[in-house]
Amino acid sequence: MVTSTSAKKHLQTTLEVPALRKKYYAESLQQGTNRKVAWCSNGIPSEILEAMDINAVYLENYATVCAAKRLSSGFCRAGERAGFSQDVCGYARILMGYLLGGEEAPEAPYGGVAKPDFLVVNSYSCDSRMGWFATMGRTLNLPVYVLDAPYQPQGGCTEDVNVIYSESQLEDFVAFIEEQTGTKLDRDKLREKLDLARRSHDIQVDIFEMRKAIPSPMGAGDAYTIVWPGMYLTGTKECDEFYQRLHSEVSERIEKKIGIVPEEKFRLLWSGLPFWYNMALLNYFEEFGGVVAIENAYFRYQKSLPSQHKDPIKDMAISSTMRRPYADDIEQRAEITLDIVRDYHVDGVILAFNPSCRLMYVLQPELKNVLDRHEIPNLSIECDMADERTYSEGQIKTRLDAFIERMLSGRK
Amino acid sequence: MIAAGVDIGSSTSKAVLLNGDDILCHSLINTGAESANSACRTLDEALERAKLSASEIGYIVATGYGRVIVPFAQETVTELSCHARGANWLFPSVRTILDMGGQDCKAIRCDAAGHLENFTMNDKCAAGTGRFLELMARVMGISLDEMSELSLEAKAELRINSTCAVFAKSEVTSLIREGKDRRDVLAGLHSAIAARVYNLLRGIGVEPDLVISGGIGKNIAVVRKIEERVGLSALLPEEPQIVGALGAALFARERIMLGKE
Repeated sequence: MVTSTSAKKHLQTTLEVPALRKKYYAESLQQGTNRKVAWCSNGIPSEILEAMDINAVYLENYATVCAAKRLSSGFCRAGERAGFSQDVCGYARILMGYLLGGEEAPEAPYGGVAKPDFLVVNSYSCDSRMGWFATMGRTLNLPVYVLDAPYQPQGGCTEDVNVIYSESQLEDFVAFIEEQTGTKLDRDKLREKLDLARRSHDIQVDIFEMRKAIPSPMGAGDAYTIVWPGMYLTGTKECDEFYQRLHSEVSERIEKKIGIVPEEKFRLLWSGLPFWYNMALLNYFEEFGGVVAIENAYFRYQKSLPSQHKDPIKDMAISSTMRRPYADDIEQRAEITLDIVRDYHVDGVILAFNPSCRLMYVLQPELKNVLDRHEIPNLSIECDMADERTYSEGQIKTRLDAFIERMLSGRK
Repeated sequence: MIAAGVDIGSSTSKAVLLNGDDILCHSLINTGAESANSACRTLDEALERAKLSASEIGYIVATGYGRVIVPFAQETVTELSCHARGANWLFPSVRTILDMGGQDCKAIRCDAAGHLENFTMNDKCAAGTGRFLELMARVMGISLDEMSELSLEAKAELRINSTCAVFAKSEVTSLIREGKDRRDVLAGLHSAIAARVYNLLRGIGVEPDLVISGGIGKNIAVVRKIEERVGLSALLPEEPQIVGALGAALFARERIMLGKE
């Protein structure tokens, strides 16, 4: 059973996010009838949808909202009643429960999401969601578009091939949206959106870079929240201004040496997704002098590439082949994690095993092997990222407490 | 000054009283539904045996799953650290501990001073735990003590494919119905548990000496199977169930000594 929920936020700017999110969902619901609505997976470029005046609803984010509001149990049960196994992605079960309803389904947060006209899903990072989106498409009798992203094994395929393929996929995606809306993409408008998104992204990279500082100016409790505007308000002035304010606050904290805890004794990396229904777990280490200084799931490590082509789609294709923190070759993922451990002065790693997340679950055992080989202390804890019924307070706290004792004993 | 360690496990509650380097006495009772109450009862029992009063205790450390609800404890330390400390006190050469308790199974590595170095635990699964053995004993209509004795008399070892409590129960029931010798079934069951806990041990790497603690440490048949798997003889505490409480008492003793300084 979960006894606590939201993480304590240490930064003032972070406190702006819940209001932004609430406004975003309210506007989306209100505009549902005026603009075409796309139900999207993460990884669908919102800049294109924004430029084409599409009302984009990102379902994985809505699932995390349901989980954070402690509604995942009811939605998951409703999804499972419709035949979805508990092994299926927690986000998918929540949304299927939301979509299909029934007596188990609770009242939807923010009054629900706008009804879709079509669905778009990205194939990168996770395979389950293509099946999930296909099922929703069949249920709603609506078209589903799969934006395919090439797998990028190390040395297995040349960058040029990937760029050509990505460009063809993006063009095909645009053609699909044009067909749905009956209007052509305004490429100048897209260019404007991309320029703004690039700026916001680069500020985020700077902020992540600043998090290497000791004491930690921003922990994971804030970080999992502050990534939200960059993911869902991409290419907007609101987003750009948010990150400028955040950058100033983080800079000030570093200058004044304001940390998360009065005396920082150990620094942790959270590997994998957090447990959205119990984000307070990220603060659990703080009373013992520990800080989750960094996380690898939404890690921003590489600045945007400069614009190289007149056609914005060509630039997007090149950007899409850049190194991604958790979508590519497993060796690259391990390499990124080791880089983070070194650069962020990490003393120990928490490996969150989410059984229903195939992408994350298969990654963690190999990461554990790599960390063990490098004698980096690590702890594995197993819970679903969204389905709170899988969380056992006693089991988790015993493991965390023992790991904290290990950290404080000064041995590695 | 007396140091007390109280270990509130899912099945049993234990208390150990230490005076300097001497274990004065220990107690062991069933936890029952009220963990806080069983903490009081087990400490009272230990005090009664030692003919001491609560006011003579200088410091109390609680451990085990119920550690946070022990009303009189001055501090809590996890059972992982306590088992490492307790096993090290009993056997200074220990570097690996396998604690097989009522609810979970832990593989622990410690250094020469008994500090926790690494650990792994079974996740959301009863396999290899006391609860699993209790269930199998009930299915076979025998006591826990008989399980070990009968298994050691086995002539063959029947294969049990699953250590999942639910599936293993079905497998055992089927084998008994087929008229298989229950001693051979038990040998297979113990072997399946050994295979399961061996995976836990491999996760942290086994370094000699190995100590087996917890209630299952009393089941010699399981201990033998684990020794075969690991390729090492295990050191067995005289009373394997009090190692955690002993570790907690040692932490309490440390706090008393620090206070004196």
